[in-house]
Amino acid sequence: MWMVYLKELKEVIRDKKTMFFMILLPLLIFPVIFGGVVYFTSKATEEAKTKTLTYAIENPQAASQLNEALLSEKGLERIDLPENQTITDWIKAEQADFVLVVPEDYSNKPLETGSNELQLYYNGAGFNAIKQRLNTLIEPIATASRTQAFESLQVNETQQQKLLEPIILTEVNVADKRENLGEIVGGMVAYVVFILCLQGAMIPAADLGAGEKERGTLETLLISPIDRHKLVLGKFFTIATAGVTTSLVTVLSMAVWGILVGQSLAIEAITEFMGAIGFVDFLLIFLMLVPVVAIFSAILLSLSIYAKTFKEAQGYMGPMMMVIIVPIILALMPGIKLEGVWAWVPLTNVALAMKELIKGTMDYFQLIAIFGSTAIIAGLLLGFCVFWFNKEKVLFR
Amino acid sequence: MIEITQLAKKFAVENPKKLSEQEQKDPRLKGKYFHSVRDVSLKCEKGQVLGLLGPNGAGKTTTLRMLSTALKPDSGDIKIDGRSVVSTPLIARKSIGFLSGATGLYGRLTGRENITYFGQLHGMSKKVISNKIDELASLLELETFLDRKCDNYSTGMKQKTAIARAVIHDPDLVVLDEPTTGLDIMAAQTVLDFIQRLKSKGIPVIFSTHHLQEVAELCDRVCVISHGQTGFDGTLNEFKALAPASLNQSFLSVIAGSNN
Repeated sequence: MWMVYLKELKEVIRDKKTMFFMILLPLLIFPVIFGGVVYFTSKATEEAKTKTLTYAIENPQAASQLNEALLSEKGLERIDLPENQTITDWIKAEQADFVLVVPEDYSNKPLETGSNELQLYYNGAGFNAIKQRLNTLIEPIATASRTQAFESLQVNETQQQKLLEPIILTEVNVADKRENLGEIVGGMVAYVVFILCLQGAMIPAADLGAGEKERGTLETLLISPIDRHKLVLGKFFTIATAGVTTSLVTVLSMAVWGILVGQSLAIEAITEFMGAIGFVDFLLIFLMLVPVVAIFSAILLSLSIYAKTFKEAQGYMGPMMMVIIVPIILALMPGIKLEGVWAWVPLTNVALAMKELIKGTMDYFQLIAIFGSTAIIAGLLLGFCVFWFNKEKVLFR
Repeated sequence: MIEITQLAKKFAVENPKKLSEQEQKDPRLKGKYFHSVRDVSLKCEKGQVLGLLGPNGAGKTTTLRMLSTALKPDSGDIKIDGRSVVSTPLIARKSIGFLSGATGLYGRLTGRENITYFGQLHGMSKKVISNKIDELASLLELETFLDRKCDNYSTGMKQKTAIARAVIHDPDLVVLDEPTTGLDIMAAQTVLDFIQRLKSKGIPVIFSTHHLQEVAELCDRVCVISHGQTGFDGTLNEFKALAPASLNQSFLSVIAGSNN
């Protein structure tokens, strides 16, 4: 069996395409995703903040203070609204970035006239910072009016504070940082690890079954004096190794980049969070992956040996990705916890357990159910795989 | 001695309507089953070379696959020196060297690694394998390319390596399915020389072919299969005697006889 395993592994390592999906992709995908998101978001935000905006204003004379502030603001260019056009059409035609409508009864005395309602017309379909930029101009004027009103009522500063916030809701979250972050990150980790595990195992799986058929090496292998189950196990372990390697590289890449991003951007929460997850938790996450990978490998190998060609095998494996997503999504749903029946639902229970381990709230007693159910299913699937490998109908389709 | 008696093998046909017109007319198609081999019997003594002849789709490959233990017969038996291949396939595999028609190599491994792998599967030690490879390399002229990856081999190189792989464990019987098909004259001659060498060493060889010239050159016995049944099983001289004009005529007379 180990002879088959070592030979298959040698072939996998020599295959550039497989190595790309197994190692390079998980290594590079996270810096690319993190970097890409940070770069494009900051670029778009910066652009939205500094871009010169064209605008029109109705009744500027009613709010002279605001009008002056708008005129003196760099990055705003006033144009006139054509008479024969409605504001909505004008904005939609992209003739201006926004139009501000000031009511005729605008006043700086809120105690006498109530609040002023300015209308801002803009196209919100894309990312923009119009409201934010206008607020920085409006806010000082509004504050000045408010302070003036309070002063006329002879309300001192402390009273002003209390009047503005008569009820304060202070949150006291007893969950620690790890639990909070773990709830978000934990679910995602299971998702990413499962998918990449499957992805990493897919190409070697297709090659080890259907690939042998396509190359014409299967027949020679079948008539060599080795028990069929040893042959299956050798191939099975190769696929499992590929899957585990991919997920390990993924988790490591995620951890390393997480720490790097945390430290370089001085995000203390991330650094603390990474430090809080102990070695035992990482080990348990890895150990739980073993039966999961066994399930994936057995299914992939069964599909692969049934297919006539590499392409056909990949055709069967594609939909498997969709099937795998269902139990992971279940684990992400609110209200589903690692207890009762859910501890026995395969894949969902592992995804839930990964989340619990990362959060640091794992009920270790549930590990029996998790390992039990996953190992039973993996064993049954492996048994099926051996049975499948003995069927002439499958081997000589 | 190799003795095949009344071998039969049928395959389930998922959708008979999808078969070609010729296949649908084949008398071997009965309901949802295609009786690929119905009754094949043949004999080959030690040191003899047997040529297995028959039109395309006659059941030659299925017969050889059963002989090599890749397929399990529905009925009949195959005996090598009195031991049943059907009841003890794992033991039989150690004594058979098989080269299938569409055989391939692991492209990402070198020729040497390919041969070594199968030697190891046969339970041979690394040293024995290495010595055997050296011997086969000089016999089959593999030295120049043996340590290159098989992806870059020509058809002839592949076939020579595949032959070396099939006989690495010194089998008691060598089975070759159309070993010269698709090869150029030089490569084909290497294969024929190799069969000749096996013969001189007393190792029986059963090989299927469409080239009657190869049969005339190498074979002691001839077996013709038509529609999954043995149409002829005898010595080369007996085969020649069927139609003195040529071997082609002998072959055609057997096929005509089994069609009637």
